[in-house]
Amino acid sequence: MILQTALLIGMVLFSVLAIALKDLLKSAIALAVSSLLLGIIFFRMNAPYAGVFEISVVAGLITVLFVLTIALTKSGDEVRESRLVNWAFPAVFIVFLVIDALVMKSLLGQVPALASGAETGAFGDVLWKGRTLDLVGQIAVILAGVFAVLALFRKRDKHD
Amino acid sequence: MIILFVVLPLIVAGVLPLVGKVSRRVLPDLLANTTLLFLLVYAAVAGRALIAGGPILQQMPWLGETVNIRLALDGFSLFMLMAVSLVGLAASLFAIDYMEHYGAKANFYALYLVMIAGMNGLVLASDLFGVYIFLEVAAVASYALVAFGLGHDELEAAFKYLMLSVAASAFIVAAIAIIFGMTGSLDFAAVAAALKELNAGPVLGIATAFFLLGFGLKAALVPFHAWLPDAHPSAPAPISAVLSGLLIKVSGVYAMTRIFLNVFGLTPALSTVLLWLGAVSMVVAALLALGQKDMKRMLAYSSISQVGYVVLGIGIGTPLGIAGGLFHLFNHALAKGLLFLTSGSVQQATGTRDMDEMGGLAKRMPVTAATNLIGALSIAGVPPLNGFWSKLLIIVALVQAGHPVFAVIAVLVSVLTLWYYLLMQRKAFFGQLNEKWAAVKEAPFWMTASTVLLALLCLGVGILFASTVSTWIQPAADVLADGIHAVTGSWGF
Repeated sequence: MILQTALLIGMVLFSVLAIALKDLLKSAIALAVSSLLLGIIFFRMNAPYAGVFEISVVAGLITVLFVLTIALTKSGDEVRESRLVNWAFPAVFIVFLVIDALVMKSLLGQVPALASGAETGAFGDVLWKGRTLDLVGQIAVILAGVFAVLALFRKRDKHD
Repeated sequence: MIILFVVLPLIVAGVLPLVGKVSRRVLPDLLANTTLLFLLVYAAVAGRALIAGGPILQQMPWLGETVNIRLALDGFSLFMLMAVSLVGLAASLFAIDYMEHYGAKANFYALYLVMIAGMNGLVLASDLFGVYIFLEVAAVASYALVAFGLGHDELEAAFKYLMLSVAASAFIVAAIAIIFGMTGSLDFAAVAAALKELNAGPVLGIATAFFLLGFGLKAALVPFHAWLPDAHPSAPAPISAVLSGLLIKVSGVYAMTRIFLNVFGLTPALSTVLLWLGAVSMVVAALLALGQKDMKRMLAYSSISQVGYVVLGIGIGTPLGIAGGLFHLFNHALAKGLLFLTSGSVQQATGTRDMDEMGGLAKRMPVTAATNLIGALSIAGVPPLNGFWSKLLIIVALVQAGHPVFAVIAVLVSVLTLWYYLLMQRKAFFGQLNEKWAAVKEAPFWMTASTVLLALLCLGVGILFASTVSTWIQPAADVLADGIHAVTGSWGF
């Protein structure tokens, strides 16, 4: 329980750092650490597949993409944020924490333990046989992403 | 084969970039428009026969094995499919001429068809996660389409749209997770049955609030509307037409209505919240529209206001109110699609969206001016156009259900709507011809043809409103008025 709480607090802290840090590289790494902690939490809560995907894709692959992209940018393009942003996020975060502390404990008591419905089963069965329509949706999302890249990074020649 | 509505546009989208290598314009134009025409004819001709014996549910085999592709088609989804196919086809016909100067037409159509597939999938989905995933399909395609012009404004608008839309998706996923935690299922029918037994007041309240936030953002109801007046005007005209005419209604209003009415069941408290959200959106957005100089921005604010009418109608919860709301959804899709297309014609001819710079364009673009007038009067609710009848139904339903104050607000906002649309018509099309536009010509064939098609539909639906309501709207309203019985009774596999 203590370890679990420590992991959760660490995850929230690193998420806040990811937003608050001005240096993009540090911010990306904070996000990776936060996601790594989430992956560990998934493992400890008997969701090994979710943990594997979280760590390999979010903490690993996406961080690499972020770092690569940041490496390609030039320094000196400072973006000025309005002062509103500087205090709005901490304010919202504190309000959220207060509401969380007041409400969540009683709410969590009311959520019944995960009911086992027809959709439980071996991971592969669920993914390929139980949620096949989602796979069609996944294909569509990937298509949309690929076409978006093709369209947004197209060369604009005058005659076309 | 109702899966065709999802799979056919996806397959065509997949081959379009390859086809684009062979033929840059003709083949992509032909392929995309034929696909949409086929879907429209299929929905119109086969749809009614398919659901004649009640809702149909299909479980597809995949490579010879039975897998869980479940799709459900009932009166409500068929009605939405019709709306998507109709406006989708009109906008895509318009794109034949309009998208010429953007380049990369094959890619444009590919993204467009993926967006249509996403909307169709959402409408046919029979479980909560299916709704989410197809909502994302349509959304991802639409981000790219908003930014398609690649200008500074377009990219900024697309980014803002992306950010707020992601927040909406996060709330929707959170609500779905709560529901799954409570009921152990995602299927509409199973969730509705389980929630009825569970009696989980406060937790269900949180899920409802999250859904309201998420779908409210997607439907751009006030106070969640900040992204829409940037995103919709920045997109190319056919995309503006589809975003305002269809996407906010499918991923906002349809999803919200389906879940609240058919899965959760409409409680009096929820009904009150919807009535207020609708009324506030109507009033605030109409006032904001009044002060706009940018033609497309005025139309965008008007969309928020009109979606307010739809939510107000559905929020009443009576059969007549729901029918009025859905009828207005359909009419607004036609008329707002039409207006965004005509504004696109004007923008292409003059190079500006600022109404103060226009003036007298009716002399140079008579067809565009006439179709624009029909669309404007339809949305403002002038008889005998279609918008009049749907607003009348909503107002009568409000009075019947004992909400006279909301009824008065609806009438007053209608007057306001007429005011700003006449302002637009006068500034842009009537009066002295601004000398700058002496050389302006009427829009090319396909652009004019698609606006004339939509204008005729506005007129036709207005004149034949009784048969339109009984053929298309009533079966859809019946499903919603049936509440959770609609899914628990006949949606079992």
